[in-house]
Amino acid sequence: MSSLRLFLENSITFFNLLILSYFFLGNGIYTILMLLSLRATWIHTRRLAYQGLDALRGSPLTPPVTILIPAWNEQDVIVNSVRSALQTDYPGLRVIVVDDGSTDLTMDRLVESFHLLEMDGAYRPSIPTAPIRAFYINPEFPNLLVISKVRGGKPDALNAGINLCRSPYFCNLDADCLLERDALLRLMDPIVNSAAETVVSGGIVRILNGCETRNGRVTKVGLPPRALERFQVVEYLRSFLFGRTGWHLLGGTLIVSGAFAVFHRATVMEAGGFCHDTVTEDMDLIVQLHHWAADNNRKIRISFTSDPVCWTECPSHLTMLARQRRRWQLGLCQTLWKHSEILFGRKYGIVGWLSFPFHSYVEGLGAVAEFLGYLLVPLGILLGLVPPSFLVVFVLLGLIYGSFLSVGAVLLEELTYRRYPRFRDLLTLLVFAVFENAGYRQLILYYRFQGVLKFLAGSRRWEKVAHAGANA
Amino acid sequence: MVNQTDPVTHWALMMLVCVLIGTCLLVAVAIFRRRQQIRYSGYLRSLESNYRPILATLLSGRYTAHGINTLRELPLADLELLFDPLFSAGGVGQKPVAVLQALCAELGLIRLWQHRLTTGEEPKTRRGSPRGTSLHPPASSLLHLLLRAKSIRNLGILRHQPSWPLLVRALDDPHPDIQSVALRSLATIRAPGSFPALVGRVHAVVLGKSASPSPRALKAALACFDLTCSAALLSSLRHPHRRIRILATDILRVMVCRDAALESDFLLRPEVCSPGIAEILLTNLCRDPSAEVRGRAAEIIAFLADPRATSVLYKLLFDPQWYVRLRAVRALANLRHSTPYLLLGIRDCLRDSHWRVREAAMQTLIALGRRGRQQLYEYFLTSQDQATREQIVEVIERSGLMASLVEGYGEGAGGVEALMVEQFASEAAPLGLSGVLRMSNPHVRQQFLERFLPVAHFKMQLQEETSLEASAGTGLQQVLEFPSVLAA
Repeated sequence: MSSLRLFLENSITFFNLLILSYFFLGNGIYTILMLLSLRATWIHTRRLAYQGLDALRGSPLTPPVTILIPAWNEQDVIVNSVRSALQTDYPGLRVIVVDDGSTDLTMDRLVESFHLLEMDGAYRPSIPTAPIRAFYINPEFPNLLVISKVRGGKPDALNAGINLCRSPYFCNLDADCLLERDALLRLMDPIVNSAAETVVSGGIVRILNGCETRNGRVTKVGLPPRALERFQVVEYLRSFLFGRTGWHLLGGTLIVSGAFAVFHRATVMEAGGFCHDTVTEDMDLIVQLHHWAADNNRKIRISFTSDPVCWTECPSHLTMLARQRRRWQLGLCQTLWKHSEILFGRKYGIVGWLSFPFHSYVEGLGAVAEFLGYLLVPLGILLGLVPPSFLVVFVLLGLIYGSFLSVGAVLLEELTYRRYPRFRDLLTLLVFAVFENAGYRQLILYYRFQGVLKFLAGSRRWEKVAHAGANA
Repeated sequence: MVNQTDPVTHWALMMLVCVLIGTCLLVAVAIFRRRQQIRYSGYLRSLESNYRPILATLLSGRYTAHGINTLRELPLADLELLFDPLFSAGGVGQKPVAVLQALCAELGLIRLWQHRLTTGEEPKTRRGSPRGTSLHPPASSLLHLLLRAKSIRNLGILRHQPSWPLLVRALDDPHPDIQSVALRSLATIRAPGSFPALVGRVHAVVLGKSASPSPRALKAALACFDLTCSAALLSSLRHPHRRIRILATDILRVMVCRDAALESDFLLRPEVCSPGIAEILLTNLCRDPSAEVRGRAAEIIAFLADPRATSVLYKLLFDPQWYVRLRAVRALANLRHSTPYLLLGIRDCLRDSHWRVREAAMQTLIALGRRGRQQLYEYFLTSQDQATREQIVEVIERSGLMASLVEGYGEGAGGVEALMVEQFASEAAPLGLSGVLRMSNPHVRQQFLERFLPVAHFKMQLQEETSLEASAGTGLQQVLEFPSVLAA
């Protein structure tokens, strides 16, 4: 009996130490990222006054870009998204929509809205994909090509788009997203004006729920009505404004949103294109690019800028939110496991020594540690291993530190882009930032924990998130 | 509740208090900033409502001493705020630049911007003080950088020629932002004197003597200059470094294409392009060891009036590198090149081993008008190469040529055009043809059917009699099914 108790005590003590290290490492690095981003984003917004987008727009040397829109059962949103992509202000723009074997009216809506004609096309795949069923064009929209293919998943649809793409760069855009008019110009700016070889350029994804739209454009920015959506607004601000910016400044970007990013086509093809073996093909490709660059002794730059904006619809119901977060966590675990040799690999630099370990420990294992922490720490109190006062203080510290980071993200938004113009919006965001960690965070943690369990069970199932139609 | 003797708890409590204070502080800063912003916006609005009408009058060209004097009374910082929207993206059109420049000079703004560039400091006078209003923060080094960058931008937008030496000096600024803005402003001003300095900067960047601006940004800036400046590129075109030659050829290519497009015959006038440039293109660059140089050179040579250009281009159509062949065949997409000699060369490119060269050759033949299309159709009807035939169909459908072929067929056109339509219907492009028929007006459709149906019936009969293979029959069947629906 005493040996069992000793074992339990040791386990719980070990686990408590693990939680403490997770807490300090995670929050410590997030604080560093926040401080780095505060300065960099503030400077960046000031620089926009002399950014020179007109020169980029007018130059015949600006590289052409193809927007790839993979779509599977997106009948409610696809027309607006394609319209938004076609209206994008960029010289030499082409749009390729890849219908990945939709079983709803996605194709019909496209054919009807854009008066498409089926044509006899040839398909020369450099990256193997599922077969193409049909090509559709309309000579009145010479820069639009729609293809219908046999279902092969989002990575397969993107690979088909890459095979058909002729421009040196392509931009992948989710079918439920709306681009701001100058988003692509802003996204290409770091590629054109950087002396380093920039192969990926990512932008910010903002939440569309609560905004007014017309003809594929956001006409009025506002906060969504539901608390669940508002929490996600704060979460996205934190993730993009200081998470992604901070990692970009440190040179350790591992995630660029697959909803909206520009890639150098030849480099992506050399790296093998989008892979099918994870459910987060965007993160997988970025990690794959780091891998490929290190193996081939190539210096590449992955850029993130916070001014090119793409609006997306966030889940407004718990079921959809659960599906989305489980998939993200599952994809994260799959990608980290698949590329585990990067961990502390000498040739991977900051990615191998900081970014990858951080994502593995804090983002990957952290979901398990934090979830079990909520169960095991009270057990430690029951067994008398942890003083109750410590638990109270520590839980409060965890909650308030989370609020501190979320409020920091709202402040960053306030100091820079100020997209939510009403004073009431700011106050609402601050309130939701403060209370995000009391309830919402735990809910997300539960879904992330489920994602880890799915990974351990070897699941590869893509959970489809249905849209409520904010973009419809 | 808290055990005072437990140091860890005590330490965690201290931390908790600190974080709590930090959070409250962040909330306070966010609210304070929003309040400050509201006040600042109010101030801007009042400034605009008071002075924008005066500014608009002056910008419309109606010079009034009262208006100028009223604006002169404003502190320079407020004047800058008032003028700033005019310099922001799309704020200033082509027309009022001269008026705006005169106004800025009159009000001392140009002097202020030049002063910032020359000394790197803010003027000390009351009017020049950056603290025009109590709402302006003090000019920190970061803010000063932003002010300098905006000054450079403004001088560029105003196309202030006398400022170009200052802007060239700004290229040596340690901050890459200042370099980039200066580069863009120089490209807008296009002062010929600054061109050699920028070419020198290209050499420095490529040879690793300077890290910024980026070669792509330099290239874009240099390409904005007039072609008369191109003599300064000669040394770069002859440079032993491959990358410098590529960049120089690319810059020249953009300049030449832009200038030639303004001419009625798309030919480059000899007086704008120095003889040395033409010579080096026709003798050296078309034989350059780098395929990228040869490819770009081909595009420039296509615009030269020199009689040697045709034979040089013909040779480049059969270059060992597909990339050069692609560029050469694309460069010939101009009616001036529809000579039998070059047409045959382009037609030979339809047999090229690389599909992109074949596709470019098809597009070029279509662009070359009737004679070019004739070559394409003849090749399609006689070739046994199924892949190329499919590619021709694709290009014809994408270019919208299918609709005009169908229309011509309905109106009784004969020859290769009629044969092409019948081929499309029977096996090559049933989808594209039915799509075009569906979208065309009923009259065109009726005319088409009246001519086509007898041919189709005859072919069907022939197939039945000779028991041709099923695939050809299926294609024809598809087409025939469609018109019956239409006829109904």
